[in-house]
Amino acid sequence: MSSVDHPQSAERSLIEAKGVNAYYGQSHILRNVSLHVRPNETVTLLGRNGMGKTTLLRMLMGLLRPRSGSVHLAGRDITGARPAVIARSGLAFVPEDRGVFPNLTVEENLTFAARTRASGRRPWTLARVYELFPRLAERRSHWGNQLSGGEQKMLAIGRALMTNPELILLDEATEGLAPKIRDEIWRVLRLISDAGIASIVVDKNLDDLFGLAHRHLILVKGEIVFDGSTAALRADQELIHRHLGV
Amino acid sequence: MELVLIQVLNGLQYGLLIFLAASGLTLVFGILGIINLSHGSFYMLGAYLAVTLTSYLGDVFLALIVGIPIAFLFGAVIEWLFIRHLYDRDHLQQVLLTFGLILIFNELQRILWGTRPLGVATPSYLEGSIRLTEVLSYPVYRVAVAAICVLLAVAMMLVIQRTRIGQMIRAGESNREMVEVLGIDSRLLFRFVFAAGVALAAAAGIIAAPVETVYPGIGERVLIISFVVVVIGGIGSIKGAFIGALLIGLADAFGKVFLPQFASFAVYALMAATLILRPGGLFGRV
Amino acid sequence: MLKLPSRSVVILLAALCAAALIVPYVTGPYAIKFVTRIMVIAIFVISLDFLIGITGLVSFGHATFFGIGAYVLYFVSPEADAANALIAFPLAMIVAGLCACIIGAVSVLTRGFYFIMVTLAFGQMFYSLFHDTRFAGGSDGAYINVKPAVTLAGASLLDLGGRLTFYHVCLVLLVGCYLMFLALARCPLGRVLQGIRHNEQRVAALGYNAYVFKLVAFAIAGSIAGLAGVLYATIDGYVTPDLFGWRESGVAIMMVVLGGTGTLYGPVLGAILYALIEEVLKTSSLVGPLAEHWSLGLGLFLIAAVLSAPRGIAGLLERRAATAAKQSTTAVPPSIKRVAARGKELEVQDLRKSFGGLVAVDNVTLRLAPNQVHGIIGPNGAGKTTFINLLSGALRPTAGQVRLDGEEIAGSPPHAIARRGLGRSYQRTNIFLPFTVRENCLLAAQARRPSPFRLTAGKHWAENNADIAYALAATGLSARAEDRAAHLSHGEQRQLEIAMLLASGARLLLLDEPLGGMGPEETARVTALLRELAADHTVVLIEHDMDAIFATSDTLTVLVGGRVLAQGTPDQIRRDAAVRQAYLGRFADQEPI
Repeated sequence: MSSVDHPQSAERSLIEAKGVNAYYGQSHILRNVSLHVRPNETVTLLGRNGMGKTTLLRMLMGLLRPRSGSVHLAGRDITGARPAVIARSGLAFVPEDRGVFPNLTVEENLTFAARTRASGRRPWTLARVYELFPRLAERRSHWGNQLSGGEQKMLAIGRALMTNPELILLDEATEGLAPKIRDEIWRVLRLISDAGIASIVVDKNLDDLFGLAHRHLILVKGEIVFDGSTAALRADQELIHRHLGV
Repeated sequence: MELVLIQVLNGLQYGLLIFLAASGLTLVFGILGIINLSHGSFYMLGAYLAVTLTSYLGDVFLALIVGIPIAFLFGAVIEWLFIRHLYDRDHLQQVLLTFGLILIFNELQRILWGTRPLGVATPSYLEGSIRLTEVLSYPVYRVAVAAICVLLAVAMMLVIQRTRIGQMIRAGESNREMVEVLGIDSRLLFRFVFAAGVALAAAAGIIAAPVETVYPGIGERVLIISFVVVVIGGIGSIKGAFIGALLIGLADAFGKVFLPQFASFAVYALMAATLILRPGGLFGRV
Repeated sequence: MLKLPSRSVVILLAALCAAALIVPYVTGPYAIKFVTRIMVIAIFVISLDFLIGITGLVSFGHATFFGIGAYVLYFVSPEADAANALIAFPLAMIVAGLCACIIGAVSVLTRGFYFIMVTLAFGQMFYSLFHDTRFAGGSDGAYINVKPAVTLAGASLLDLGGRLTFYHVCLVLLVGCYLMFLALARCPLGRVLQGIRHNEQRVAALGYNAYVFKLVAFAIAGSIAGLAGVLYATIDGYVTPDLFGWRESGVAIMMVVLGGTGTLYGPVLGAILYALIEEVLKTSSLVGPLAEHWSLGLGLFLIAAVLSAPRGIAGLLERRAATAAKQSTTAVPPSIKRVAARGKELEVQDLRKSFGGLVAVDNVTLRLAPNQVHGIIGPNGAGKTTFINLLSGALRPTAGQVRLDGEEIAGSPPHAIARRGLGRSYQRTNIFLPFTVRENCLLAAQARRPSPFRLTAGKHWAENNADIAYALAATGLSARAEDRAAHLSHGEQRQLEIAMLLASGARLLLLDEPLGGMGPEETARVTALLRELAADHTVVLIEHDMDAIFATSDTLTVLVGGRVLAQGTPDQIRRDAAVRQAYLGRFADQEPI
């Protein structure tokens, strides 16, 4: 799992951001951010709260327009494109608050944006998602807001899978969830990774993240201060405690 | 006793008609976030369409079938030309622009149809009255109007609860951003919703035409009442619009009989009272 | 903040006045009546702009008070004699003002769209009251047989039936009203109203009772609308229920927006423009057969105006001073000579807040000693912002006590808590962007005496200035005092937030992520400032910048899941195992360097 990566080899990348600067009003949140994710790669996004992780994901999804810099998806320039266009190009976003539609049923939430994609991979169907999340199958006709936090997270992930994306952006994969549910989510994320979907995962549980991802990014005050393999990060204790600890 | 019964029927029928008109308004406001003062003009459009189409097609129901798609298309064009610029603007500018639309529509109506009051014939097979009691009968056509409103209301409910577009509307109401993130172009969704709102208002105008005179001012009366219904029921709530419309219909009908000079006053007082007690309307989200 | 009109506008207005003085001598009776009508409408729409543009209350029922004023004249005019204008006109203003108080008391409880609808409803109520009944002639309207005259002790001084006389009276009143509203907008009352327009929540948090202020504005505007109404009734000697209608109110809004909302002179231009367009479009000699369809042209013009010139004529006239955002120059605030004062002490006991089944703050107990910097940290969703909201009054606690220097404040409204000396800043910058730096601080300083009836700064002028000077100097913003807040850099805006708290005299500062979005130099500057402030304030801050908060704080409290996980000095917290666990998860067991 911990293959040594060369951060410079950004060719054939699925998504690539170059020199992105993003603001909320006057607040300079993302400072000269460059990153790339290759097809089928799982990358984590680490950093303390308020460092810009959510902003980065939202920017990639098109919810925030960069003031400078560019973003390319499979070679196409998507800088400043509308989220709907970016979604149709193969990106899926699972926000921190899940974004489950409270006035739609579980099944309606899942089938809401279902799309197929000619990618040679086995497509994600409703049946397959229910197989992955038996809990959701049990509660398929419940309203979105009747689910617990963990179930909503699973629903949001399932809904993203139904769009058959190339890359999933997951903001706070397991925050605030009970340990058992957390374990289930990590299991699902591994399955997704095996199925060939790339992802950028934000979370705080380093052990679990080390077991899942190939590469890690650390964001501090809007700047990327580390981009390297699990082994490289593990070896640098000082870095971990300085940027992620207390 | 008979008087009360008649007024209840009148009130319900009027309320159902108002609901049809107001439902479009509450959808547009709830999902698009636009205050649309020209909504009454679309009711007026329906009434005058009824006049023209009935004279060609011979039957007001045929006029309804042809008129609804025409109104829908008209609504889509208006959204594309004017309304879509208002989504990020403040209330003042929305009010002003749609006020301008009222002026334009009113003048176009005058040019095309003149100022003389016009009428639409009740279909011959619906003339006459149903006998309710020994001394009381109620016009068949009015029953038909109520029935059509109920039918359309049910159809609306089915569309919103059971169809894909209904899903999108419901989703758009609770989380517009997420809808976009999932790949659905909200611009087209908005155009659809606006056009549907126009079509609903026009449908109300068409079927109401045989029971009222068609004259240039009918749009404004419906506009104010529709806003009252939306405010009482809560912005964006179809259920609220339904209940609000029935309340208003009954208040209006009984008011006209027992306090003829204060009927309108009572309606507005009802709205003000509702807002004071429940600032978001009966079913609205504040 | 409402500036005095620029030189070009003043010249324009002066020219208009001059033209108005000349008009009666170069034109005929029709033109005189035409201009009189414009002037009276102008008084009406200026009062509406005071509501919409200054206070931010979009009223769709302002014509209600216009109609009330008109009908007052009808009711006090005897059948065959002239009413006394010296009685009738003030009476119209008083009655309209009283009605505005009553209607306003109810309406101002609502906001936004609902406010628009409630005011519309009241207008329609009056309309139907007069239209559907035989009251005062019912829908036909009623005549005022003899126009009022200005009589004093029985002697008639001015016969307002004369066109020329009345014309000049209206001109004088128009100029007077404009100047009055201009003065009102620029006095302490007006400052607060403009603050309400831009950021009502912040105004309340500074210590003002926003409801009362809005009501006062509504009553004043309604009263002047009544004056316009009684003048209007004098022009034609005729009143009709249509004067109350929503269409009148709508046209008035149109004039305000066309002319330029919030400028006070703009609506006058809007009224002139509207009247001219109407005349032009109606005159067949100019537009031929299209004259019949003039409202089509008007509608198109309106739409074009909204889409292309949303700020109206005034927006086109005022050349916008292109002030580029200047980077702040000095890095170090000068040391302030001041008497060391005692910051306030905060005690929290079993504080609890639940939203339905969710417990956001769970029995938090702590004591924050005065004249220290206290940091509050914790992972996302730990309830930190909810906690601050409870302290500042933005939320009411479900249970528990909060004591500020021994005084119980839990459950009090934000403005009451602010007046007791607790000042709070926000995560997202929450200042008054269109105001200058000084005006922002002035609004905060003024809040110590938050009565809505203060029309002049009076004897507190010097005090206010001293407070502002201190606040600006402490935060290093003295050089930027006259710049608009919108033009400040992000870091400077965050500093302005703190300056406002200082200017308001708060002795306990609650800062919600004051370092958000700041670069390293700005962070250093602000953390130094916070340590300085601790000398005579108590500083409580939430932050995620660990280096900064550890370096700055005297004590740290760690909130997790709404509960206090740990409390102590930064060193103690750093070594606390439970805290490390909360942040790093299972990885925390590794030894730090």
